[in-house]
Amino acid sequence: MSDLDRAIEQLRACRLIPETQVRELCYKAREILIEEGNVVCVDAPITICGDIHGQFHDLMELFRVGGDVPDTNYLFMGDFVDRGFYSLESFLLLLCLKVRYPDRITLIRGNHESRQITTVYGFYDECIRKYGSANVWRYCCEVFDYLALGALVLGASSELEPSGPMLNDATMDLELETEVLNSRGEVTMNTHRQRPRSSSDVSTDSRNISPPRDISATPGQPPARSGAPGTGASGDGAGSFASRIGAVLCVHGGLSPLIDTVDKIRLIDRKQEVPHEGAMCDLLWSDPDDIDGWGLSPRGAGFLFGGDIVKQFNYKNDLSLIARAHQLVMEGYKEMFDGGIVTVWSAPNYCYRCGNVAAILELGEDASNGGTITRSNGDYGRSNGVLATDRLGVRSPGRRYRVFEAAAQDTRGMPAKKPVADYFL
Amino acid sequence: MAMEVQPPSDRKRVKVYELRDNDWFDRGTGFCTGQVVDDEPRIYVESEDEPNRVLLLTKISKDDGYQKQQETLIVWTETNGTDMALSFQEADGCAVIWNFVSHVQQQLLNLAAADDALSDDLETFQTIMLPAAELGNLPEIDHAMRAASLTQAGRDALSKCVIRDEYIPKLVPLVSVAEDLESLSDLHRLCNIMKSLILLNDNAIIETVVTDPIILGVVGALEYDPEFPTHKANHRQYLSDQSRYKEVVPIKDPVILCKIRYTWRLQYLKDVVLARILDDPTFSVLNSLIFYNQVEIVNHIQSNGLFLKELFSVFDPRSADAKRKEDAVQFLHQCASIAKNIQAPARANLFANFISHGLFAVIAFAIKHPNPALRTTGIDILVALLDHDPIMMRGYMLKAVNEKKTPLTDTLIDLLHTESDLGVKNQLADTVKVLLDPQIPLQETMARAGPETYTKLRPNILSDAFVQHHFDESAKRLFVPLKRLEKRTNFNDMKFQEVALYSHLVDILTFFVRQHLYRSRNVIHNEALAPRVAQLLKVPQKHLKLTALKFFRTLISLQDTFYQALMTHNNTFGLILDIVYETMPRDNLLNSACLELFEFIKRENIKPIVLHVVEKYGDKLRNITYVDTFQSLIMRYEQMQGYGAESTDSTLFSQDEGMSAQRMQANGQRWQGVKEMDAAEEEYFNTSDDDEEWQQDIQTNTIVTTSIQNGAASPVVKSLVDYPDDDDDEIMDTKAEPVGEEIQQPQDGIPAADTTADASQAPSTPVSQTAQTPPERLSEKRRREEEDDDELIKLTSVPKRRSSTSGGPGTAGLLRRKKGISIGPVSAADKVTAQGALGNVTTTAPPKRIAISIGSSNAKSSDTESTEPTTDQTSNEKENQGNNPDGRSG
Repeated sequence: MSDLDRAIEQLRACRLIPETQVRELCYKAREILIEEGNVVCVDAPITICGDIHGQFHDLMELFRVGGDVPDTNYLFMGDFVDRGFYSLESFLLLLCLKVRYPDRITLIRGNHESRQITTVYGFYDECIRKYGSANVWRYCCEVFDYLALGALVLGASSELEPSGPMLNDATMDLELETEVLNSRGEVTMNTHRQRPRSSSDVSTDSRNISPPRDISATPGQPPARSGAPGTGASGDGAGSFASRIGAVLCVHGGLSPLIDTVDKIRLIDRKQEVPHEGAMCDLLWSDPDDIDGWGLSPRGAGFLFGGDIVKQFNYKNDLSLIARAHQLVMEGYKEMFDGGIVTVWSAPNYCYRCGNVAAILELGEDASNGGTITRSNGDYGRSNGVLATDRLGVRSPGRRYRVFEAAAQDTRGMPAKKPVADYFL
Repeated sequence: MAMEVQPPSDRKRVKVYELRDNDWFDRGTGFCTGQVVDDEPRIYVESEDEPNRVLLLTKISKDDGYQKQQETLIVWTETNGTDMALSFQEADGCAVIWNFVSHVQQQLLNLAAADDALSDDLETFQTIMLPAAELGNLPEIDHAMRAASLTQAGRDALSKCVIRDEYIPKLVPLVSVAEDLESLSDLHRLCNIMKSLILLNDNAIIETVVTDPIILGVVGALEYDPEFPTHKANHRQYLSDQSRYKEVVPIKDPVILCKIRYTWRLQYLKDVVLARILDDPTFSVLNSLIFYNQVEIVNHIQSNGLFLKELFSVFDPRSADAKRKEDAVQFLHQCASIAKNIQAPARANLFANFISHGLFAVIAFAIKHPNPALRTTGIDILVALLDHDPIMMRGYMLKAVNEKKTPLTDTLIDLLHTESDLGVKNQLADTVKVLLDPQIPLQETMARAGPETYTKLRPNILSDAFVQHHFDESAKRLFVPLKRLEKRTNFNDMKFQEVALYSHLVDILTFFVRQHLYRSRNVIHNEALAPRVAQLLKVPQKHLKLTALKFFRTLISLQDTFYQALMTHNNTFGLILDIVYETMPRDNLLNSACLELFEFIKRENIKPIVLHVVEKYGDKLRNITYVDTFQSLIMRYEQMQGYGAESTDSTLFSQDEGMSAQRMQANGQRWQGVKEMDAAEEEYFNTSDDDEEWQQDIQTNTIVTTSIQNGAASPVVKSLVDYPDDDDDEIMDTKAEPVGEEIQQPQDGIPAADTTADASQAPSTPVSQTAQTPPERLSEKRRREEEDDDELIKLTSVPKRRSSTSGGPGTAGLLRRKKGISIGPVSAADKVTAQGALGNVTTTAPPKRIAISIGSSNAKSSDTESTEPTTDQTSNEKENQGNNPDGRSG
């Protein structure tokens, strides 16, 4: 067992690793993160998670519900630290996993991954309390500076493979678009949409060809997919451009008036403290809102942006969805603007008192191209805005939300900060 | 159950809005009153034009979410689900109606609570009687407390009752009784009761709770949290462990001893026992109790001369008790961290007393200690002093230099060079950075500290020249390792410590340059540091490359001819382009950082650099096609060439000193910039003869570059001569004027606009310019235009430019004038664009504004406001950011 695996084991048990090991870990993470673009490209299938905020036990619950690393690919959209009492354990565990499985887990930066914010909202104090000096905080902040600002999920499937049996054949013409599961894997809600008819209205048989994908399996729980024949598969005819799924952009906060294409994000020198204004700040601070255009943010940083902005941005960048975190939603997730943007929140019972549930978003892999997907760095097929003919073909990805509650009380002690060991005053 | 609330008498002018289809529909303007009709409180608005028409008649209910927004808005949802808003003409009017609504709701809630719990006896609200503290009564006690906690009146009454009857001491024995009986349900009830009592956030109750006989009983009950039925905490074990309290020198005052113990308990309550359940008010009650205790403790310590004497005598070199010394360092460290929270004068006293008793010797002892943890602690104490008053610290340091003693900085620099623990090294680097920070001039101390402290702490005033000298000497010492790089050719065998050291040094150098380019210029020039940093662009460690790159990016952002010359004659850009090539197909951090650097040059149109880069590395640029940055750079160059042809004679002026001087005088405008310099800078310019040297320097550079270029001399020379974008500034000036808002502004990113900026007499001058620039401005502009090629003038305008680089809030005025220059990655022009976009929203009619606030209130109030549990920082995160000292952020 390598040192790293040992560290992972230890952190999973919510026990901290020694300072020297933290330092090594941070240096290793830096080497990995420096190779990542400002917008990391990742492939579906992937599970997208929102704010964690140091709620270690709930992070464990998240892994229980969503599957463990490296079996499930994860994308965490920032705000790992502050508020909760286990920011260190949570962030260091995620960082360990990143170093151990760099391709299986992606971490992007949230507005709390900042020196200024962490000195106010608890992470700094936690480091002092748990390590006796600010050194660990410094190492972590250095890593924060290297974190990517966003991610682009490619190759997501337009259709979900149902988790439960389909009720009747009437749904044959419909494909499953969204599905909401509780933490026991039971479907609590789903939505369907018309199957695209454009090119491959050939036969229902073709749908049996694609290999069954299993993105719904969670350890210790058999996948509940015992559906009737003909319902267990995905996608329509291969190569149909009508089913082209635009990429999914993931950022912590939202859009910026200074960023009109995803490529512009690439031109940011991200290795810095989160600035008080500018594109980088906006990506981490903005919020969608029911307004037209841009608005002042009540947070004092970033902007509010309306549905029209999201539509334009998605259209121009060939995106089918923007996934973001940054705002507490009591239901764990919230889609806005006709599904153009979704807020995912992964800290249940936020601050141990808000009473909200949390969610993670699973995007399935599009197997219709025989498993191959068009690779791009975000600029592929990005147009100048005139490519309007086949626009109808950009379909939103099938989205499976797994909603979960705070970790069961007996899996953890009472959450509390660590008391000081000795005192003179 | 009669309504006791008196409705407001006079009528308030108001607009009534109703949300229809996500848009605010104006129901009309009228007069608003609060009424109580048939015991039914309601809001009533009658129309202004037709007094008989009722615009609004709504019953106030106890649980509807009424919200007051922006002083003049009240927003709520009707029982039928309609969103309504009242927009008052006056904030006063809004406040009156709002008070009415709140009172009514309070009353309704009181009544409801009374209905629920104590409907049989309303009177008890004034004087609550709690059942006798017996196990059998626990359910009843619990219930009564919960009921009373619902309203403020109930809480007040309950607090009074608990204190008056000394109820808590009566409850405490029940804990051990219930434990003996192993009655978990009773223990859970006791826990709930204790929680309710503490959450009354009454000072007296909390003070009682932490006293000696009580505390163990209270936390004992809190060990049995019904929310965690299978767990039991061990608070009592922790709190009764006497060995946790360390005493280096006994504190004899029993009152202070007591305070220390109580403070510790309060902190434990806050952080551990109550961490999850604390609400904001209780949190602040705990915090303020802790605060006042700490103030008293610190006061006692700093005023107790005997104690201090004994404390510092621990460090007597003759004493061999190493453990005691370490403990004493820890003690001082704890004092320093507590002092961070108390008011500045008290803190200043504490530190002054510490220092007079020999704190520096203690720091010196700690930072040379073999144990890295103690070194860290030592530096932490130093950092606390620096955070408190960097100027004072620098004063001490300079005093030591003046007295020919080894200053602390030298010690720290030597340690930084040799330190092997990377964490400590990191801290040392930060400390040296602050200590040597060339920005804060010593004179500032006069204004900041009162005269008394001033004479006490800074007996001698040192001249600025002296400060400069010391800075130069220290910097020279500091950057020795960088200088040694000159002989190094192979970077593949660097040790970890070396890499860290270089990275810290370059980081510090970058900081110096950004803070104060004049003070740093000497060092960079004399020690030839720029080529050394350029060497680091070739190391295999990417993060070090990045640090070096950041240094050059900072140089570019300063838009200073000296630094531009440094960069253009060192093949620096060649090395940076090499990095682009190395990383090219990949989209990674290093690549982005390079692209951002060239984007900045392009966006700010820094002519000397554009010329240099395109002429020297044109082919390299042309081959980079995966982004359009480099092609546009070439395009910029080509545009410039078209323009530059008209003024080829510019080079002549640069050699003609007399001509330049004459021109300089002729142009009074230029000198206005000098007035904007701060005193220190001005002094620098008045006293230093560096200017001339530096000019010669540039000319030497010119010659060097020319000889390298061998032929294509003219444009290169021009690059050093032609100062870039005065014209752009001019346009920016116009932009910054308020009139400019409605009119389409030329944006920086659009080549066309830039062309016109370069040659403003061209026919395609944008509308905005002609439309808004007053006539005399235009003529003035022409005059400037003619003189634009003058080298000296450009040099003299440097300080003006520099002023915009400090970027602090104080320079806002300057920034407005100089919007064309920006240090951050996002140009001012972009910001203007952003604000322009914002303007759409902010200037819209009132209903739209409400739309925004409601949207945000519904969606976000839960998230941005109510869920911020840390009380003192409830407002919004960004605000706190501002208050936060940058000191730690390194």
